[in-house]
Amino acid sequence: MKLANLAVKAVLLSGAVLTIAAVGRAGDIKGKVSVQGLKSPVNIAVYVDAIPGKKFDAPTEHVVVDQKKMEFIPHVVVILQGTTVDFTNSDPVGHNVYWPSISGNKKLTHNLGTWPKGDKKSFQFNDMGVAPLLCNVHPEMSGYVVVVATPYFAVTDKDGNYEIKNVPAGKYTLKTWSEDGKPTTQSVDVTESGATADLTVKK
Amino acid sequence: MGDERFRTKVAFALFSGMMFIGMLLVSVPSGKAIPAFSRKYQTSCTTCHNNYPELNDFGLAFKKNGFKFPKDDEMFVKEAVVMLGSKATKEAFPEAVYPGEIPGTIPISFRYEGNLTWNAKQPEPVQTVGFVPRTDLFVPNTFTIISAGSFGDNLSFWIDDDISAGASGANGGLGDGWLKYSDIGRMFHLPKNSLNVRFGQFELDLPFTQARTPYLSGYDIFGQGALAQGGPCSATETVCQTTNNPFVLGTPQRGIEFGGYPNNGNFTWSVAIVDGTNSAYGLSNTLTTRNTKDVYVRVSQQFNLERDPESRHAIQAAGPTGPRDHTSIRLGAFYYHGDNEQNYGGSQFAFLNTISEPFYRVGGDIRFKYRKLELFGVGLVGHDDNHLVDTVAQTIVPAHAVTFTGGFVAGNYWIYPWLIGTMRYDFVNSPSDFINSVSEDQTRNRFSPGYQILLRANIKIVGEYQYHWGVPYTGATGLTQFYRPHMFATGIDYVF
Repeated sequence: MKLANLAVKAVLLSGAVLTIAAVGRAGDIKGKVSVQGLKSPVNIAVYVDAIPGKKFDAPTEHVVVDQKKMEFIPHVVVILQGTTVDFTNSDPVGHNVYWPSISGNKKLTHNLGTWPKGDKKSFQFNDMGVAPLLCNVHPEMSGYVVVVATPYFAVTDKDGNYEIKNVPAGKYTLKTWSEDGKPTTQSVDVTESGATADLTVKK
Repeated sequence: MGDERFRTKVAFALFSGMMFIGMLLVSVPSGKAIPAFSRKYQTSCTTCHNNYPELNDFGLAFKKNGFKFPKDDEMFVKEAVVMLGSKATKEAFPEAVYPGEIPGTIPISFRYEGNLTWNAKQPEPVQTVGFVPRTDLFVPNTFTIISAGSFGDNLSFWIDDDISAGASGANGGLGDGWLKYSDIGRMFHLPKNSLNVRFGQFELDLPFTQARTPYLSGYDIFGQGALAQGGPCSATETVCQTTNNPFVLGTPQRGIEFGGYPNNGNFTWSVAIVDGTNSAYGLSNTLTTRNTKDVYVRVSQQFNLERDPESRHAIQAAGPTGPRDHTSIRLGAFYYHGDNEQNYGGSQFAFLNTISEPFYRVGGDIRFKYRKLELFGVGLVGHDDNHLVDTVAQTIVPAHAVTFTGGFVAGNYWIYPWLIGTMRYDFVNSPSDFINSVSEDQTRNRFSPGYQILLRANIKIVGEYQYHWGVPYTGATGLTQFYRPHMFATGIDYVF
């Protein structure tokens, strides 16, 4: 009897471990974005769209967007909804950051003001969408903050390659955003070993 | 004889008036915007200009720094320069040529301006001596080539030339053409930028530039010369006055200028020694050579009124929506002294030696800036010594000086960064103009409201209406009558 109880407990324990292991197992989504009609596949945001019934807490760590040599660095940054972005100024000239809208909604326009080299200003992005970053003195400067619903995202490199790490197994919708191209959507099935998804972005 | 002399005077007055008005239309400021810098730094014109060619505070600092970013210029340059020797060669000097640099690409820019003009109807007697059509659909104004930049540490240059002025194929002239050594004062352990030197042909350090004004027309007072009553001595006159000084403040001069901008650029000073002969600048009969040299002095002090000390000392103020020009008041004064010489070798009066007529121009200026508003003005007094020559008695005695006063008050308002409303009031009080029948009374005034629309950072539509003083003419009754040669001009202006 004692042995049977032990065996049952062992099976239950193993099952729990296996379940936990199965649940914790995640893979990476990798792939390449190719373009049609666009100059380059660089700086294209690739992200997992909202998962029904799933909410993610915003990270406590801030994301940094710098202004250096009259450029926003990085040019495109993707963040989870609710993330705070620190805008720093590494230039010896005055800059400011503002966006005229978020995904075309002008009610969400915001201007952070002006700050000198070494200082920073922060903003928590609670609204989904794309905020085009501008500087009102240097109109050639531009950048983008893409606010998404999940923490699973990446930005393509100069060759169009991307990698989204630690995506739990399951079926998802993969989306892209790019400055000059149309959004694309593709389903992806992520297993324990991950998934590969190549996408095409058209003008 | 009397009637003939009167008609000659009227004709001369009308001709002078037409020439003057023509100069207002033709002598639109040569372009001073410099898209070559835009290419060098891969940045928009609006980095330095709030309404090209007018400079914002950053643009002014850029210019004062020898056309380099005020701080850490190298990190902003997107076009590689050509090094004329490695930096280490500095240590080898004087055994080697001191190293310098030239721009990586030839820093050439072009500016083109042309206007539609509408003119008030001229009375028939005026049409016979100087017809101007009611409307001219397009008057090509100027096509200017500009080259400017830096030759490395401390050396900067500027050359601009009107390839075409006033009409297709017409020859323009060199505007500015100079080389500048900045901060030569450090050799004498002076504060940074307190002593610079510039040599060549250049617009004087005027409180408000004539060559780089964004307005369609120049400031009248800067185009005022000095002419004794009755005009220059003619062959038929036995007694006449001598003053005949074509010098005008607003035209480029040739010489050397010392200057500086210590105290964070808020205090400026300059002393220029020039020929005083005006430049050809595409205008005829303005070049008069003489042995004497002239001196021009200017000082100004700007008071930044920003409350935040850090903002006050920065190149631009930290506005709530972005960097902007400082709220400020600038006060200045200037003085020009010259000695006009005539009758070299007895060319006009064989019985006289060279006639020397010292003259001066002295004035003050003020400028106030607050957010989108800019108000400014100049007051000026001109004084030329004068003589009375009796060709029969062969004597010369001093006569009443030829004097004039005048100036302008103006305002610009940025309704939007691309839409600017302008207004100016020019006034010139010249008894000589009145005696020479150029103006209705001793005062020539005009209102000039206008607009500037920046279609792009480098393209604009400009417009100006000029409400003028009365110009005399002889009517059908034989009496002197007056009419107002109002004018409206609007046109295009683009640089690349």
